[in-house]
Amino acid sequence: MVERRKTYIPEIGRTVIRADAEAKAAGVEKYAADYYGEGLLWAGVRRSGIPHGRIILIDKSEAENIPGVKAVLTGADVPGANRQGIVHKDQPVLCDTKVRYCGDAVALVIAESREILKQAIAAVRVDIDPLPGVFDTDEALRPGAPLVHEEHKTGNILLQAEIRRGDAAGAFAGCDAVIEESFEVPFVAHAFLETENGIAWQEPDGKITLVVSTQAPFRDKWEISGALGIRMDLLRVIGPYLGGAFGGKDGATVQCLLALAAQHAGGRKVKMLWDREENFIAGYKRHAVKMEYRAGAMRDGTLQALHCRLYYNSGAYAHLGGEVMALGMEHAGGPYRIPHALIEGWCVYTNNPVAGAMRGFGVAQVSFAFERIMDLLAAKLDMNPLALRRKNALRRGDSNSSGVTLTGSTGIASCIDAVERHPMWRSRSAWKAEAGAFKKRGVGVAAVFNAMGYGRGLPDSAIAKVELTPAGKIRVYCGVSDMGQGNATAYFQIAGQILCQENSSIELVQPDTERTMPSGSASASRTTYTYGNALIRACEELRKRIIGRTALVLLADTVERMELLPGKVRHLGTGREVPLSGIAAMMSEQDRTCIQQFIMPVAGDSLDTGKAFFIGFPHLLFSYAVHLARIEIDELTGRIEVKDYLAATDAGRVMNPQAYEQQVQGAVAQGIGYALHEEVLMMEGRVLNPGFAAYLIPGAPDVPEIVSLAVETYEESGPYGMKGVGEVGINGPLPSIANAAADAGGLHITRAPLTAERILEALAQAGKKNGGKRK
Amino acid sequence: MRKVFFPRTLDELWPLLESEPGAAIFSGGTDLFVKMRAGSADPGVLIGLERIGELRGIRREGDGVRIGACTSLKSVLEDPLVRSGLKVLETALKALGSPQIRNMGTIGGNVCTASPAGDTLPPLYVLRAEVEIRSAGSTRRAPIGEFITGPGKTLLGRGEIIAGIRVPAPQGLNLHHFEKVGQRKALAIAVASLAALMRISPEGVIEEARLAWGSVAPTVAVSVGAEEFLKGKALTRPVLEEAARIAEASFFPIDDIRATAGYRKAVAGNLLLRLCK
Repeated sequence: MVERRKTYIPEIGRTVIRADAEAKAAGVEKYAADYYGEGLLWAGVRRSGIPHGRIILIDKSEAENIPGVKAVLTGADVPGANRQGIVHKDQPVLCDTKVRYCGDAVALVIAESREILKQAIAAVRVDIDPLPGVFDTDEALRPGAPLVHEEHKTGNILLQAEIRRGDAAGAFAGCDAVIEESFEVPFVAHAFLETENGIAWQEPDGKITLVVSTQAPFRDKWEISGALGIRMDLLRVIGPYLGGAFGGKDGATVQCLLALAAQHAGGRKVKMLWDREENFIAGYKRHAVKMEYRAGAMRDGTLQALHCRLYYNSGAYAHLGGEVMALGMEHAGGPYRIPHALIEGWCVYTNNPVAGAMRGFGVAQVSFAFERIMDLLAAKLDMNPLALRRKNALRRGDSNSSGVTLTGSTGIASCIDAVERHPMWRSRSAWKAEAGAFKKRGVGVAAVFNAMGYGRGLPDSAIAKVELTPAGKIRVYCGVSDMGQGNATAYFQIAGQILCQENSSIELVQPDTERTMPSGSASASRTTYTYGNALIRACEELRKRIIGRTALVLLADTVERMELLPGKVRHLGTGREVPLSGIAAMMSEQDRTCIQQFIMPVAGDSLDTGKAFFIGFPHLLFSYAVHLARIEIDELTGRIEVKDYLAATDAGRVMNPQAYEQQVQGAVAQGIGYALHEEVLMMEGRVLNPGFAAYLIPGAPDVPEIVSLAVETYEESGPYGMKGVGEVGINGPLPSIANAAADAGGLHITRAPLTAERILEALAQAGKKNGGKRK
Repeated sequence: MRKVFFPRTLDELWPLLESEPGAAIFSGGTDLFVKMRAGSADPGVLIGLERIGELRGIRREGDGVRIGACTSLKSVLEDPLVRSGLKVLETALKALGSPQIRNMGTIGGNVCTASPAGDTLPPLYVLRAEVEIRSAGSTRRAPIGEFITGPGKTLLGRGEIIAGIRVPAPQGLNLHHFEKVGQRKALAIAVASLAALMRISPEGVIEEARLAWGSVAPTVAVSVGAEEFLKGKALTRPVLEEAARIAEASFFPIDDIRATAGYRKAVAGNLLLRLCK
């Protein structure tokens, strides 16, 4: 039940009104896109428009001569390394010699108005000598293929890696059933509401401040500093609430361009706001992946062997390609015990838009493959699909397919049980039999998981800061951005729980590199886990201090029987009370502020595999889910309608039932789009559907009632027993819907999205196979 | 800067059409503004018709209904005359765009855009609607199928607008059917659509059949052959399959980013099977 009283103590385990709800509903909470300023200048980018080519000449004279144009900058004007990238620094801020995809930035224009900006961007003359491009991973891997980065030592292969456990090649011989199949998933877009944007200005002392829609304000400072050669202490990044991100704002979008623009804006504020088309053309995408799977099991369903080859299409630059692939490979075997596994991966440069982080980071792709394989195995072995999954489901103490010992909560089996008990599963045969004319019904399940945190090789750290203000209020300095998922509200609840203060007495400060402490990115299902753990420690420390200082005020000889209550501390024995403002008055600023760091635990196993990953492998903690989709296929059109949906999720204990359910529902809705119709269509690297008229995300009628079951486990290391719930839900819809479609009509489904056209074709194929008379 | 005119009466409009011969004339703007944003249209002068009272409203006329060209799609959808007598049009309007688009867009705009995917067009074809073309000095009428001459092309000449659409009452036509196939349930452009209007006898015999498909040809596709074939038969699967086969000769679809020509063709025929009894 939602807490509707005006004042209440936000506590753990209950649904509270989001801390940002009122301000957002009233329109006073400012997103980065809401920042303007006196004498504002506008900055914009001239994009290459050509997927691969050598820059012959950039003639900016005509653009510079347009009245109202403040500056036109090219690669030659970039002061630093002119290279950005989170792990591999391979992406120019402004291209210097080559362009590698149609969205590459070749010139930065600063102008007095958006109209002049548009005119000037068009007036920059760009002469590019086109080179042959590579767009598909097979093409890019062919010997003699054009090279996207000539200087890259391994050609178009950004990263090649393997995870090996046992003897996969040998183990297949002993399997009773072997399934071999290839799968393919396309590039998709994050489709967040607030497009990439920010505002920046330079103070007379040289300091540059940016307000940016970003998931990683602290990392942005490193990125800008390295790319432009600006000292870190001369950079400040403020990261307000985001209007959505889903991974697409984890990495440089406007940051370096804006800082560069600020250096040429004469101290004036300069704003950059991509329009939707630019977001599609130049923004990050989810990796398209080709997956070749071979899996073997014993007659009783016990999985024995897995061999897969995964080809991740990274687009023109690395961004987080290697890390996305690493996580995909780590999950390629599903949440199952597989004694013999060989998982090979190639992350490949192409002349497509840059692929990067997106909710379900590499995992949403492989989930399609391994869960289709499980259904194919179940069919071959004539087993109930849930029974096959339960037989192989990882338990606490097992080693997963990377060889990591699962020491934390592992609730996949309980999720399977919850789905199996549910009427949506139990009534499936009767439900399918009720299909109307020209309809086929199917029911499919998918068991999925998603790791939490950065993994080994770098600290998944957060530093929480909490202050008792002079007015006697609690101020939490949030180090991790809230892109809409609600982690700020979780922090609000943690402070309320530990410090026993009412909602109106708890303030949240959103990320600001000068006010909040470095706490990593809003990503990897880590925001509440890592920062929350740090915040618990900081709040407990502050609580002790408040009580301790009260003893001084009350001349008490012990802190016993001293209770922190809303707005005050009371000595229960005597009934004497001191308001928090009174206690704050006697504390120094340093004393009123508590800072605590937390670093996520990592796997302890010494693994003799995955050596190619220098960061981000392996992971220790996972959330789990089992999804069930009941779908109806229209035989006349091939359209799939998702009729019912069930998601059973183990993300540890639930801190806020509504926020939890919202994450599940949002992920499922987004996943339905991934399953049914989302695809960034490209022709030789050019985006053919750069907008929401032709890139279709699900609308309300396309999303059924979603039943979310919280299958709670207790994660010992988590704040209040929780694990991250933000990503795991995106991994289920594509495989569960694909399995349901296969169930409905014996369809052969290996490629996403499951468009009506592909389904109609699959129906025709299935009809032929059965000697049916359908045309 | 562009000049934008919103005349309030036809008397204000006629001299404007004279003095601004290059103006883009719109009614609602839901198609034109999208083109302007994309840069595929860049008119220097705009004339909006939707504030001309004489061009709005729905009334009974003879035994039919006259819909003013600048009546919003929402008003058409909600009109009692449309809801009681023109079910096939009402169903199509429900599938057109979104509430926002239906609030802005007008039926005359949808007709003049003459898109093969225009959702009001197949119903207007089977309803045998007539377009009323007005200019400063004259009025003429044309059946909808003649008014639309090609994709984005109509009979409208210089100085002409459409003032209204006259829909004869579909008397005795007791089967109204419309189905649109888009890439999602709402807010999607038709990949294929079918409007059907039939007179079915109490015994279930087809006495008259009118069929029109959207998005499978440069303009709305009709098939006299299929209509004739259906006469005297019942709505059974073999009959409808044969009608679909005959109708295929009228489909000349294209490949685009939404669907292939092959899919459009297959689905357009399949849509007839939905009428199976």
